[in-house]
Amino acid sequence: MRPSRSALVGSLLAVSLLAGPVAAPPVQAQDRARTKEVVIGLGAEPRTMLAVTIVDWTTNNMLEHIYDRLLDRDPKTFKPKPMLAESWRIVNDTTWEFKLRKGVKFHNGEPFTARSVKATIDHALDPASKSHFAAAAYWGLVKEVQVVDDHTVRFLTKQPWPNLIDSASLTNALMMPAKALKDLGPAKLNEKPIGTGPFRFVEWKRDERLVLERNTDYWQGPADVSRVTFRFIPEFSSRMAALLSGEIDIMKDVPPHAVEAVERSGRARLRATVSSRINYLALVNLKPGPMQDARVRRAMNHAVDVEELIKQVLKGRATRMCGPLAPTNVDYAPAECYKHDPARAQALFKEAGIDPTKLSLTLDTPSGRYPLDKDVSLAIAAQLQRLGIKVNVVVNEWGTHLDKIKNRNTGDMFFLGWGPALHGQGTIQPLFLHDQTYSSYGNNPVLNERIARASTLLDPRARAEAYAELQRLVRDEAPWVFLWQQHDLYGVAGHVEWTPRADEKVWMYEARVAAR
Amino acid sequence: MRAYVLSRLAQTALVVFLSLTAVFAMVRLSGDPVLLFMPMDIQAKDVNEFRARLGFNDPLAVQYARFVGGAVRGDFGESLRYQRDALGLVLERLPATFLLAGTALLLTLFVAVPLGIVSAVRRNTLLDHVGTVATVLGQATPGFWLGLMLIYLFSVQLRWLPTGGTGTVAHLIMPSVVLAAFFSARIARLTRSAVLEVLGEEYILTARAKGLGEGRVIGKHTLRNSAIPIVTLAGLEAGQILGGAVITETIFAWPGLGRLTVQALLNRDFPVVLAAVFFISVMYTLVNLVVDLLYGWLDPRIRLR
Repeated sequence: MRPSRSALVGSLLAVSLLAGPVAAPPVQAQDRARTKEVVIGLGAEPRTMLAVTIVDWTTNNMLEHIYDRLLDRDPKTFKPKPMLAESWRIVNDTTWEFKLRKGVKFHNGEPFTARSVKATIDHALDPASKSHFAAAAYWGLVKEVQVVDDHTVRFLTKQPWPNLIDSASLTNALMMPAKALKDLGPAKLNEKPIGTGPFRFVEWKRDERLVLERNTDYWQGPADVSRVTFRFIPEFSSRMAALLSGEIDIMKDVPPHAVEAVERSGRARLRATVSSRINYLALVNLKPGPMQDARVRRAMNHAVDVEELIKQVLKGRATRMCGPLAPTNVDYAPAECYKHDPARAQALFKEAGIDPTKLSLTLDTPSGRYPLDKDVSLAIAAQLQRLGIKVNVVVNEWGTHLDKIKNRNTGDMFFLGWGPALHGQGTIQPLFLHDQTYSSYGNNPVLNERIARASTLLDPRARAEAYAELQRLVRDEAPWVFLWQQHDLYGVAGHVEWTPRADEKVWMYEARVAAR
Repeated sequence: MRAYVLSRLAQTALVVFLSLTAVFAMVRLSGDPVLLFMPMDIQAKDVNEFRARLGFNDPLAVQYARFVGGAVRGDFGESLRYQRDALGLVLERLPATFLLAGTALLLTLFVAVPLGIVSAVRRNTLLDHVGTVATVLGQATPGFWLGLMLIYLFSVQLRWLPTGGTGTVAHLIMPSVVLAAFFSARIARLTRSAVLEVLGEEYILTARAKGLGEGRVIGKHTLRNSAIPIVTLAGLEAGQILGGAVITETIFAWPGLGRLTVQALLNRDFPVVLAAVFFISVMYTLVNLVVDLLYGWLDPRIRLR
């Protein structure tokens, strides 16, 4: 989808909405309010129906309606809390023990036990499953899952691994039934998934819709919503038309310029939330150039006016970040912002022996991947121009952008988003070590040592301190121009009561349908 | 005749093989396929492991041989993105694709050909001018714009038709109209000029002189003689509609082959791209074979050898 075209079409739609009369609520939406059905419009369909197979946030968001996780996350504090596991403890440096909830049944009647946990993780780690979750960043550090008794299970890890608790609270830990997995096999379960979740699978019409119905025997009590349909509508203008015509009740990713059209429609309201997905401008030190010098990188942070970008380009729909982690991250510690200060920037450039008016930089950006990414990049170029820095903005197709970052072929700067970034290790380790796929910064011995240490600390207080120190170090090293957390914008029909979450999860167990 | 068809089928196989080879080479030039389906926090070691397991580290010649070996057995491999049989993904989309393409093609022929004939016969009348303006508009209107305006009018304002998806006849109306609009314009213009040309022929004068009614003159003598260019264009367009209704499919959330193909290209999902190209090239060449056979029927002077 080209943003320029969608922008044009969006404005057309917005204009026509302002001009035309707003019709009465449609019959089908009223029917759904009575039967408590909710239809959600998404841009893409799921990539599988099998748990712990493909790492894709949208896919697994749909799947977690069918499968439960070992642990849940508190929607406010983002800390892990009980779900299928009632409690957990650290036995020793490389052993975690989970006590499982009793009396939980899968949709096929099979009881949920320690064997389900073992079968699920074994499936993820089996090379034959070709699961992304076998990678080191997911379950790769698990050596063995041991069944202690029916409701006690132990994870033995290859090294001390504090983030196991985070893994257990994410869709990394969607639990499958052991017996069905063995008897039916993954292919059959992919056709008709079986979980313990609040909704049962009904049908998946490829490229069209996924239909789920309420699990009346759900262990946390049945959901208020009786039926959830995910409809896949790739074009945003069509998705918006579907919302306004009453065909769908929740629309994800309303573009900022279409906000007014949603608000004026009378049928839906805008629901916004600060996201745990972050955007940043990488200052690449993994290749020769001026960004090797920390003073230059700091100067860039003083030269770019982040507040102005948020206000002018994003219309306020972003929340500024001052360090590498956002408050929605469990390991967040506050950091002092780089102030917009051209004089300070000039002084730092001078200190580094660089004349900004002779500086010519290249900035790589994707287009349409993150909110107004290309426009932000162009605005940054214009801001740097005020100091006389010449910036050449290169707009890349998404795949090319990733290739360039991976092969270290970008310019001195590139724009990228990261998330949902929910724990510190998941952001700091892959982005600030030189040998990581998408890093832009590395070869800092102090940072290398601190990252290695932080990722093995099991004690919560020691971990918090280690990540606080890391955030201070990263902030001072200025490997990025720290930008912001995205805001997620949803259009939600009047009869659906649902609050969006920072982790981009559309979670219908929490939704209520108010009959009108 | 049978020898002709057989040799054409052999040619079809060759064309399909060559287009697959060309696409194979082109997609391999487009970049690393592994990054786009792997999560972003994956480590380089794991990326390499996946690449090796999927055979992308082998020399290109080996990969090509493996691909050809699989393709002749109808095995295009597993979709990188969906971890499912690529051919299966393509086959699932065919019914929706055929339904939309067939409806659009019928709509095109039933609207455009009569419109072209009437314009030619009533040349320089108001009807002809209206027809000309309509065809120019039809050709100049971008499909996505027409689609969105129809959605706005018939779905958002009037609430007569659904915005997208499949299921009922109502779902089919807007996408097929949008798809037919562009092609109708071209066919109507071509029909008009082809009919005009034939109307100037002496045998039409003869037909009229011997007292044939206007219906027979137009229906039999004119239409059949001006049919060859129309059928040629219709054949080319049928091929295009089958493979390339991407924009229409995207706007109307229609689960067709075009959308799948473009998504697969953007995601570098090579097995799906190749399976789709296989079907599109087979259909394209077969439609053109049918067109060539029609020539012989339309104009018996044409001998197919």
